[in-house]
Amino acid sequence: MRKTLPFAIVTGVGFFMLVQYFVPREEFEIIYEWSLDWIIVIGCFAMLLGLWSLTMASIHKVQRKTPGWGYSVIALIGLIFMLIVGLYPGQASLVKGSIFMLFFEYIYIPIQATMFSLLAFYIASAAYRAFRARTILATILLVSALIIMLRLVPLGPLSSVNQWLANFILTVPNMAAKRAFWIGVGLGATATALKIMLGIERTYMGRD
Amino acid sequence: MVETIGIWIAAILTLGIFSFLYKDNPFYKFCESLFVGVSAGYWFATTFWQVMMPKLVDNLAAGRWIYIIGGIFGILMLLRLFPKIGWISRWSLALVVGTTAGLYFTRYLVSNGMVQTENTIMPIFVTGNLPQTIGNLVIVVGTFCGLVYFFFSKEHKGTFGGFAKVGIWFIMVSFGASFGYTVMSRMSLLLGRLDYLFGTWLGLIK
Amino acid sequence: MRKITISLLTIFLLTLFVNISFSQEEPLPPSEVKASDTPNDNGHSITVTWKLSPDDGAGKKNVVAYEILRSDNPEGEFEIRGVAPAGESRFDDKGAKEKTDKNYLPGHKNFYYKVRAKADKTFAESEVSNPAFAYGQWYHTGKTTVLIGVILFSAFALYFINLARKGKKLFVRPLAGIEAVDEAIGRATEMGKPILYIIGLGSADMIATIASFTILSRVAKKTAEYQTPILIPCYDSVVMAVAQETVRAAYLEAGRPDSYKEENIFFVTSMQFAYVAGVNGIMLRERPATNFYLGKFYAESLILAETGSVAGSIQISGTDEIAQIPFFIAATDYTLIGEELYAASAYLGKEPVLLGTLKAQDWGKALVIISLILGALAASFNFQFFLNLFRVQL
Repeated sequence: MRKTLPFAIVTGVGFFMLVQYFVPREEFEIIYEWSLDWIIVIGCFAMLLGLWSLTMASIHKVQRKTPGWGYSVIALIGLIFMLIVGLYPGQASLVKGSIFMLFFEYIYIPIQATMFSLLAFYIASAAYRAFRARTILATILLVSALIIMLRLVPLGPLSSVNQWLANFILTVPNMAAKRAFWIGVGLGATATALKIMLGIERTYMGRD
Repeated sequence: MVETIGIWIAAILTLGIFSFLYKDNPFYKFCESLFVGVSAGYWFATTFWQVMMPKLVDNLAAGRWIYIIGGIFGILMLLRLFPKIGWISRWSLALVVGTTAGLYFTRYLVSNGMVQTENTIMPIFVTGNLPQTIGNLVIVVGTFCGLVYFFFSKEHKGTFGGFAKVGIWFIMVSFGASFGYTVMSRMSLLLGRLDYLFGTWLGLIK
Repeated sequence: MRKITISLLTIFLLTLFVNISFSQEEPLPPSEVKASDTPNDNGHSITVTWKLSPDDGAGKKNVVAYEILRSDNPEGEFEIRGVAPAGESRFDDKGAKEKTDKNYLPGHKNFYYKVRAKADKTFAESEVSNPAFAYGQWYHTGKTTVLIGVILFSAFALYFINLARKGKKLFVRPLAGIEAVDEAIGRATEMGKPILYIIGLGSADMIATIASFTILSRVAKKTAEYQTPILIPCYDSVVMAVAQETVRAAYLEAGRPDSYKEENIFFVTSMQFAYVAGVNGIMLRERPATNFYLGKFYAESLILAETGSVAGSIQISGTDEIAQIPFFIAATDYTLIGEELYAASAYLGKEPVLLGTLKAQDWGKALVIISLILGALAASFNFQFFLNLFRVQL
């Protein structure tokens, strides 16, 4: 039971989801919708596991006084404060102007936007490193990237040529490569799903 | 007043994150820790009110008792916290993984495999339209070579290797296009933050 | 005087009649109204077809639309169910399946339909249709192409799995990213530094994440053998739970259950850039020798890869998100592109059964290539029958 029941659940539920794709009947549709909702509910309960993990990891760092333990205190304070102001007032905490949303607006949003904007610097450094590689493939990547980047830049007499090239790249070779990629991914993902449903791939389930 | 304080806090935290570009420092570490803690609390509270409550509590209150099954599996998941009976949580994991596998078996096969194949089936010569003929031919040849590149059970040698090489060239052109396409949008994100600092905070840009 | 009055009255009546005729001219009604169950549905829809009114596009040319009416009694009151534009001769009366929904259409209950041809100010109704009831089908005939695809792919997989189980050696070409895994783990062991394994931002119900778990199992087994610590910061709580199970099982299999440390597989946060900030901190403080980025990644991929590069780690990446692969190629040492991520577990484990499914994938690709070539020729010569074989109904 301990070993076989999980795999029986995987196989049974997996094959039901496969079969329901071909059976339009209402009963199958309803069970399909329930299954998706059950997964969401399981994910919600699992949030408590995640919170527990984060809290205990931070507390252990503080207890053991590992280097940088002060920052774990800051993380814990931020976490506990947001939980209190987010849960105690009820649904009203999600209303604009509440303490919860003010912290979201003036702490979370600015830091998130700034982290996102760091990509501008990273993309430049990644491009510099990649295009130094001096292989044919890196050169193709560089030339293609340059043509696309310059399509919005006025280049005088070369503008129309560059824009035509950019349009051609985006609609023809880009489309061809993407199709091959997606077909490969489709077959690979299908094979992975089949391996799981047949119980061939079991590593994710653990063992005793 | 609240807005002014908020803008100052946002601006200081923005500078803290930007300081990372120089090197890792206590100011950045403070911002990072605060960010992790605040985001985890925000995520939990919003998911609780916007997902957990409607999906489980409201459905049970409305008499849709079938949702108790999701609740039971959710509680079984929490048994992971108790080592002796933690193995029971595998039943919940099995439900999640099994549902995913069955769902995505057809989803990926159809939308990625079959629909893409259907869309690539096009005439390789169109009478009276040379540009379309060339375009269609390049797409079909490019897709063919790209698929050959992804073959695992044959060495990339000889004629087969030649096709695979053409395939990876097509793929690199596509990746270069993605790279170039994204650069401008990333630059605009940086401009957005600079506008906040120099405009909204310092008022230097109107 | 009398004659003048009669003449004037006649002219007046004629004018009135002409006005009425031109502004209130009734179209001819549609005919042959038939109702039947909508095929390939969940049993809450009835399809109504009719023959167009002779005044639709011809005759008086005054039909602007058709109203479809329904009743559960041929003599009873009819309610409007929908409108179809002129020229249209079919309407699907789709109802909800929930009884509490005001649009609920019960199955196995007879309904009657009428179709009204509407002109500007007038209309003409058809005869009442035959009774029809809705019922669900057991098989969606429009998905036969998909069923054939499923059967073919499954047949390939089962055939090659069977062949592999009988001991036939299956060749797979080397992949640089996979060959580097052993070297990368060895490097971490020599340097006495941990390995950082990032499963990505996907939830446990994504195939790319599941593929990452299968690779994690093999990597964790090697780290158990070499006694190299492995750190796995997780974005999703369920992913954390599965990762803990996977690594624990790998350590058990390697004969090192006591070396397993659950605190090395931990949750960070489920917000994208906060997760990145947390992982960046780990990279810069722990200085892992090797970073694995395998799973579902989005815009944060470049930040992670660049920070890892600055920290001096050797980096192996793989994702099925096509938009992120160029950044991984630019910033990491080895990249598994798309399908290679799904193939990686077979490469690492070298289990014959898993290699068998790789062969099935290749045969699937071969079938696609044949379809492309034949389809291109059929499209060029306009062989519609062959082209229709490839129509996929979602």
